[in-house]
Amino acid sequence: MTKMLREGEEADAEVTWEDQQNINAFSKLNGRLEALDEIYQEKKKEKEYLEDLTQELELADEDESVKYRIGDAYVSITLDEANERITAENSELSTELDGITSKMETINKEMAKLKAILYGKFGKSINLEK
Amino acid sequence: MAAVEANPRGIPKAPFVANVDEYQATETEATLKKFQEMIAKYKYMENNNLQRKKSLESKIPEIKKTLDMVNFLISKEDSDEPIQTQYELSDTLWATAKIKSTDTVNLWLGANVMLQYTTAEAKDLLISKLSAAKVSLTQVDEDLEFLREQITTMEVNTARVYNHDVKLRRLAKAQKQAAGGGDEEERD
Repeated sequence: MTKMLREGEEADAEVTWEDQQNINAFSKLNGRLEALDEIYQEKKKEKEYLEDLTQELELADEDESVKYRIGDAYVSITLDEANERITAENSELSTELDGITSKMETINKEMAKLKAILYGKFGKSINLEK
Repeated sequence: MAAVEANPRGIPKAPFVANVDEYQATETEATLKKFQEMIAKYKYMENNNLQRKKSLESKIPEIKKTLDMVNFLISKEDSDEPIQTQYELSDTLWATAKIKSTDTVNLWLGANVMLQYTTAEAKDLLISKLSAAKVSLTQVDEDLEFLREQITTMEVNTARVYNHDVKLRRLAKAQKQAAGGGDEEERD
């Protein structure tokens, strides 16, 4: 992330407390973004599974019960009940995903701002890319 | 240095070296050693928090699962039909059970204690445990961010003191060369 100056490289610009705070903020945001991205990918996969499940259940026999996993056990419930549970879970996931996306957007914007400031001041003596 | 600031959980803030010369008054080696020690302390705290985070991250889904089941039992409370279920008897063995609708459950509280609750009580308890765990998780995340910031500050401090030292040495060498007029080879 933030690169230290190597021996022989001169710090052209003096690092002020404000710069340091900007650097720290940038590093913090970067960490947050990575954590969010991980959660996002996980939830997205879960949502895909649920969508597969919905398609699968369309072919199921209406009179037969579905064994649905709740907690650590399987429970036999009707097809309607299973579909209800899936729809509820799906919409919950969608809201969570939306929340994560908007958070990531805000972070990206803040990071772009900090990048402009820091590159403006330090130029090549700082490396803010992944 | 003014009074040490700290975050809500009492982790002290790292000092920022505004004036390298001031710090350089003492031995560079000693200063760098002190910095290293501080970084090590922060890293130690970071490790502790990472472990707490891990345990919370496994606890939360567990509570959620239990809450899910309790909610299901509540939804079936008024039904006369027994609940058909397959449950895990041992790692590779599942058994079928019919459960009459129930309004009580036993919750494992830990430390070899299990307590019977009505489903409504169990639900309340689990919800409060879940939100408490989530609060702890955000606090741990905050602490981790804070610690990382302090580590970055200390690392930058280290780099600046080090660079300053290099500069001073060069200056001293240049002066010596100028004084001696020698043709010594430049070495870092």
